[in-house]
Amino acid sequence: MMKSLRKYDTLLFFLFIMPWIIGFITFFLIPFGTSVFYSFTDAKLPGAVEYEFVGLSNFIHMIDDPIFMKSLLNTMYFVVFGVPIVTAGMLVLALLLNFNVRGIALFRTFYYLPTLVPIVATVIIWRLVFNSEFGILNAGLSLLGMAKTDWIGGEHTIKPVIILLQVWISGSGVLIFLAALKNVPMHLYEAADIDGASRLRRFFSITLPMISPSILFVIIIQTMYNFQMFTEALLLSKGGPNYAAYTFVYNIYKSAFTDLKFSMAMSQSIFLFALIALVTFVLMKLSNRFVYYEGEK
Amino acid sequence: MNGGQKMSLSGTALKYFLLCATLIVFAGPLVWMLSTMMKTKMETYKIPPSLFPEQLTFEAFDRLFTVQPLMWKWIQNSFTISIFVALGAVISSSIVAYGFSRFATKYRDKLFPIVLLTLMIPPSIMMIPSYVLFAKLHWIDTWLPLIVPAWLGGAYYIFLFRQFFLTIPQELDEATYLDGGNRWTVYAKVIMPLSKPIIVTTIIFAFVNSWLDFLGPFLYIKNNEMFTLSVGLQLLIGQTSQDFPALAAGAFISIIPIGLLYFFAQRYIVEGVVLTGSKG
Repeated sequence: MMKSLRKYDTLLFFLFIMPWIIGFITFFLIPFGTSVFYSFTDAKLPGAVEYEFVGLSNFIHMIDDPIFMKSLLNTMYFVVFGVPIVTAGMLVLALLLNFNVRGIALFRTFYYLPTLVPIVATVIIWRLVFNSEFGILNAGLSLLGMAKTDWIGGEHTIKPVIILLQVWISGSGVLIFLAALKNVPMHLYEAADIDGASRLRRFFSITLPMISPSILFVIIIQTMYNFQMFTEALLLSKGGPNYAAYTFVYNIYKSAFTDLKFSMAMSQSIFLFALIALVTFVLMKLSNRFVYYEGEK
Repeated sequence: MNGGQKMSLSGTALKYFLLCATLIVFAGPLVWMLSTMMKTKMETYKIPPSLFPEQLTFEAFDRLFTVQPLMWKWIQNSFTISIFVALGAVISSSIVAYGFSRFATKYRDKLFPIVLLTLMIPPSIMMIPSYVLFAKLHWIDTWLPLIVPAWLGGAYYIFLFRQFFLTIPQELDEATYLDGGNRWTVYAKVIMPLSKPIIVTTIIFAFVNSWLDFLGPFLYIKNNEMFTLSVGLQLLIGQTSQDFPALAAGAFISIIPIGLLYFFAQRYIVEGVVLTGSKG
């Protein structure tokens, strides 16, 4: 092609990707840039005209707030306990749904259904099931002789209930694992059979290493998600009882819309961003030792 | 390998047992919703609760629409927004993806990684900055914050379209140029007609994601008349928290559109999830 035509082509290229460029600048770069800017100020409302630069003061003082620390600890709970439990749950479900039996497609259809329920509807359903007086769960448990438990209103039960809810709507992760399981070459299992390997041995020596890239992927997505846990906690128990489900993002929301400290909320957002970036980076680095990529070496 | 037939028969039975036990956990809450929805209000206060309604009634739906006359409006709002989002996602993302798959410029390989990088940005850190931006644009209490970004190319969908476009042979482009076509004709007359599967996937996916979105409408819309169904239901929980059948009916209504889509287009939803790793 002639040089002039190529130049024209570059122009056309930018014309085609223009929607994305406009979107990227307007809805990402500008808000993110303003956010970094305001996080060093004491601006109170969106569009505040009067504000002062306060340097790192927001970042230093956010730790003074006991509720901030509580929200950070709650979020760490969802990351440290929630992520492994939810990921393991997804894997177990994927193994179940990988059974080679008649009618398995129907089971898959039903297991994925909860994932497509709007979150508000999910919360309505869970409040009906977990209701301490009239819920079906306590009714079932009382048949087994267990006392009534106030699941959603209990300081020690609300976090496990939210993690359980996450397992209930974990269909997407299950699908990813299911696709990975189907890609494990059959000849590996056949070889293991010839060697007389047990089921458990086959799982740990073949299945687990072969699907380890998917496991890493799901863990990273779930970690990022749980760091940002908000909607579930907001809708299920308004962060309570006694701040037991008060998460980091919930606190950001409150800082902005209840306390009207937008600059503080932005500092907290940037703190969270740094935290997520750091943890994701460490996860990726650590994973090099555990994740097996086919075709490597 | 020992035990033969008998072994595998009991193995199959065990498999079905495990599958059914788990099914109770996963479908159980949905069945409980359906059951509650068809009970009378009084029956839901019975202790111990009855598993299934003693007499089927749909009066919960009447109460739901009486307590909250805006229900119809919210359903319409949700449909309108989701349709515009789906349309925008297909049109804008396919155009952008065409740029990223068919132009051999050095800028392409520099910019595409940035598209992928934006996928890694945790959305909640953008919650407050976006709110401030939309407030300055006077977009609060309008649907613009929900719809406009969809018309400017979503990273997921750009990625999906680009992957698909790369599988379409370049020879088809060349043939069109020889016939006097230009870049736009190739996109509109060659590439897009060959991309029906990915167009359907994107429409369904974008529609579903918009329908499921809670945080967006919750943050940006304060006027009850403008609410989506999700945010409306959240208001309803506050209004009538003890009317279990009406709440269950509301939840049921919000599930129907996605449920129907899922049963008719399951293949596309499953494909989309596996390809992007995102929630449907």
